[in-house]
Amino acid sequence: MRATKPATAIPAVALVAALILTGCGIGADEPVARTAPRELTGTIQLWHHYTDREAAVIQSVVRDFERLHPGLHVNVHSGQQDTKITQVVSSGGDVDVMLTNVNSTLGTLCKTMADLAPYMARDHVRAADFQGTFASATAFDDRRCSLPTTSDVYGLYYNKRLLGRAGYHDPPKTLDELGRMALKLTTYNPDGSIRTLGFDPLIGFGQNTSGTVSATSGARWMRGTEATTAASRQWHEILAWQRDLVKKIGYRKLKAFTAGLGDEWSANNPFQTGRIAMALDGEWRVAFVDEQAPHLDYGTAPFPVLAGSGQPYGGGYVSAADIGMSKQSGHKEAAWALVKFLTTNTGAAVKLANGLKNIPTLRRAADSPELEAGPQYRMFIEASKHPGANTSPITEIGATLVATMNDFWTTYQENGGNLDEGLRAVDTDINNALSLRRQK
Amino acid sequence: MTSTRSLPRPSVAKPRPAMRTRSLLASRLPVWSMMILGLIGLAVFFLYPLLANLYFSFTNYDLAGAPHWTGLRNYVYLFTQDSRVGKAALNTLWFVVILVPVRMVFSLGIGLLLSRRKTARGFWRTVFYLPALVPPVASVVGFVFLFNPGTGPINAVLRHLGITGPLWFNDPALSKPSLLLLGLWMAGDVMVIFLAALLDVPKDQYEACELDGANGWQRLRFVTLPNIRPVLLFSAVTGVIAALQYFTEAAVASMIANGKTGIDAGTDQLLGYPDDSLLTYTQWMYVQGFNSFQLGYASTMAVVLFLIAAAVMAVLLRRAGLFTKAQG
Amino acid sequence: MTVRKRVLTVFAEHAILIALGIMFLVPVVFVALTSVMNSGQTLTGALWPKPWEWSNYQRAFEKAPVASWFLNSLLYAGGSTLFMLVSSVPMAYVLARVRIRFANPIFFAVIVAMLLPPQVIQVPIYVLWAHLHLVGTLWPLVLPHLFGHAFSIFLLRQFFLTIPQEYTDAARIDGNGEWGILTRVMVPMAKPGIAAASIFMFFQSWNDYYGPLLYTSENPDNWPIAYGLASFHGTHSTDWGVIMAVTVLATLPVVVVFFFAQRVFVEGITLTGVKG
Repeated sequence: MRATKPATAIPAVALVAALILTGCGIGADEPVARTAPRELTGTIQLWHHYTDREAAVIQSVVRDFERLHPGLHVNVHSGQQDTKITQVVSSGGDVDVMLTNVNSTLGTLCKTMADLAPYMARDHVRAADFQGTFASATAFDDRRCSLPTTSDVYGLYYNKRLLGRAGYHDPPKTLDELGRMALKLTTYNPDGSIRTLGFDPLIGFGQNTSGTVSATSGARWMRGTEATTAASRQWHEILAWQRDLVKKIGYRKLKAFTAGLGDEWSANNPFQTGRIAMALDGEWRVAFVDEQAPHLDYGTAPFPVLAGSGQPYGGGYVSAADIGMSKQSGHKEAAWALVKFLTTNTGAAVKLANGLKNIPTLRRAADSPELEAGPQYRMFIEASKHPGANTSPITEIGATLVATMNDFWTTYQENGGNLDEGLRAVDTDINNALSLRRQK
Repeated sequence: MTSTRSLPRPSVAKPRPAMRTRSLLASRLPVWSMMILGLIGLAVFFLYPLLANLYFSFTNYDLAGAPHWTGLRNYVYLFTQDSRVGKAALNTLWFVVILVPVRMVFSLGIGLLLSRRKTARGFWRTVFYLPALVPPVASVVGFVFLFNPGTGPINAVLRHLGITGPLWFNDPALSKPSLLLLGLWMAGDVMVIFLAALLDVPKDQYEACELDGANGWQRLRFVTLPNIRPVLLFSAVTGVIAALQYFTEAAVASMIANGKTGIDAGTDQLLGYPDDSLLTYTQWMYVQGFNSFQLGYASTMAVVLFLIAAAVMAVLLRRAGLFTKAQG
Repeated sequence: MTVRKRVLTVFAEHAILIALGIMFLVPVVFVALTSVMNSGQTLTGALWPKPWEWSNYQRAFEKAPVASWFLNSLLYAGGSTLFMLVSSVPMAYVLARVRIRFANPIFFAVIVAMLLPPQVIQVPIYVLWAHLHLVGTLWPLVLPHLFGHAFSIFLLRQFFLTIPQEYTDAARIDGNGEWGILTRVMVPMAKPGIAAASIFMFFQSWNDYYGPLLYTSENPDNWPIAYGLASFHGTHSTDWGVIMAVTVLATLPVVVVFFFAQRVFVEGITLTGVKG
């Protein structure tokens, strides 16, 4: 080793230096043409996280876009996780337009996205065209790097037949009611294992995350730029409630039952097959039920809230998909045209909403008579406008924020332990991770 | 015959220095042409990354911008602030101190059984070796399905016997032992090496031993083990190195046992399931580097991994003199 | 030792072997049986298929581009093996037979490169491929083998060392240069070693999950079978019958190769450990 080092080290170091200096550091925003080009040509790459039926919906809207611009071709990369899209963009991959989740990704992805403000000013697109939290939340760090396409609202799905059989006519409005009903609705096999479950409270099951579940208590994550969950009464109460319900049903029974369930996104979804009577899920589930379990007799309602927490009933946890374009895109005008089409074209927004059964963020689309809204879906549109709708903070650490709490919560739901200490540790972890990201 | 003689021999002809260089070059050219690809490879895919990695470890680097020098910040985070890196390191340590020795003892046991057999040894060797060839991903997918607590055949069999089966890959306390079972099932590669070494142990040593009235344990202790010591050392060190980089089995087990598809959740939320019990050091490094895109911090983790691996390798290179010299 | 005790020992050893053998085969049998169950049955903990759903194998090809995964695995494994031979056979020969300067440090570097966990140098290598805009393709997986594969170099060198020096000397006297000695003497004599190195390289690439995860996961067109299998679960999570069918398909080629080359295999693996 000693003999080789001097000989090979010098060129190696030179190589490192050369690579870093010529590196594909993402530069500043370029100036924007004064008028939008009349004709667009070429091929652009759109990356998004939808799969299967949902990917087909995106594809059909993209086809409408291509019809408007015959010279343009959009190459769609579907089924890409947000982390994967971030990796591809960061490593200089061929990405022009990316569609990701605001809460888990915008904080890390924004700096690789082009500033949309000059394009918006030129083409008369205003933030006020969009409704709800995400009109402003799709900007990060004072940069308008993305616009919302559709938003998600979480609520309660309940199986009317199963509830009726147990003597219930209305869905629960508080978590205590939910817990009582869940216990009554749960049936067991002769060997003691769960046959059908009233409600699966495990964090990690389906859409149960620290973000969606804590929203039922209005628990706040941060003050300013610091995580402060340990100081929040609501955080203590929501974790205690969940742990209590898990204990009452039995952690091991729940775990065995959950492990044997079908995939959330397939026709084996346990709510759709009637193995679970009530579930916390997003508005898109309506579309999945329509396709995969059309005969299911079910209702939707705002998710119950923690009594005495100050969180009003009627809203729910909200999130959104946002779309932006890469700073490195060689086809910025075409990319912007696609972004603009997917976010501000009423027809496209309505088609997306109808297909995905997500909540339109474009005001004109939300008010459009063409929006096909059955009662189950209508409930979610109302919930998204409710003042009780809330979301988790969008930060530089992206999904790590919620993941850190999930981590603690999954341990806590099994073993219990000192809640205050645990939450303090979560705060410290989040703050340390934020500081590592922000280091200069 | 003649052509060899026509080659100038520097030591015999004693030509002037310039001549000598040229002829040396001529005679050495084929040799270096044989080495050139490999030498480029060592420089580009080994030495350069080692050094570059060291540099990155002192920076905040996300590939979107240029690396930004931050001194020891990443090291401080690793040793005092990252609460998951400790768990990950402990999980990896579990595989190093449990998986490696258990696999070796198990392989040695089977090797001993087979070495004593006179018939059908080839058949048995195939039976025990074959699982080691199955692609690890396929083995894990199979095992996680077989051990599914709700619907898997293993617990179904246990139910027929009146036993409530455990949660296996879904229980943080059992997920690593479940992977240990998989590790034993796949231990054939070690077993084959041991078996070959066992068959090489001189028969007369056993006979001498038996004449001295030694029992089975003493035979193992004083004849077998000393004879196969180099093989044991080799497989211990390669086993430890492999355990330090344990990734695929744990990652795939987590993703499949979790039941989540990862469509809306990132891989980082699936890895380690259940409760981070399968989060190994290299997985956490992968998450930091390629999911969170904190390449600087991932490089810091790599430096620490390098130091540990280097220490393990030092043992090998010291103890087994066989490696230290290329020739002569 | 009494006869009685001897008989008992033999009997006990047989019993242990048979019990262990069954335990080794059980997972294979269960997986194979599950691969012909319908999706409903796989969720019931059933042990015997009813009915036998052979169409799972057909559906595997319909539901996922299994054929394309096979092709990519073949490209990855075949390409790596070919490149490895081109680069590593000559280098191993030099390290085994030719006196050169820096032989020891070079050999030392090979050993360290062989033993070092690849993750240690992952970040800079990834950055390198990213700068070359090759992330998403199979090149980062295949191309490095054109520049030597440390384990293969080591294995081949061990094999070359077992060939008596007299053959090399005789070839030299016959007027062969180094390339001549390598191609006319060493390679023909080291065929089993070269075969073993090739098979190891092939299997390692065929089974690799980490590499494709890092470099080609974003591009389903370039997924090899090992990565495809792990992700197949993601999109068809509860169709265990089909998943097990793909599992069987992914394993089959490896097993077939093994049965054709069992001797080479066992000799090769033995060489790495014993003669090390």
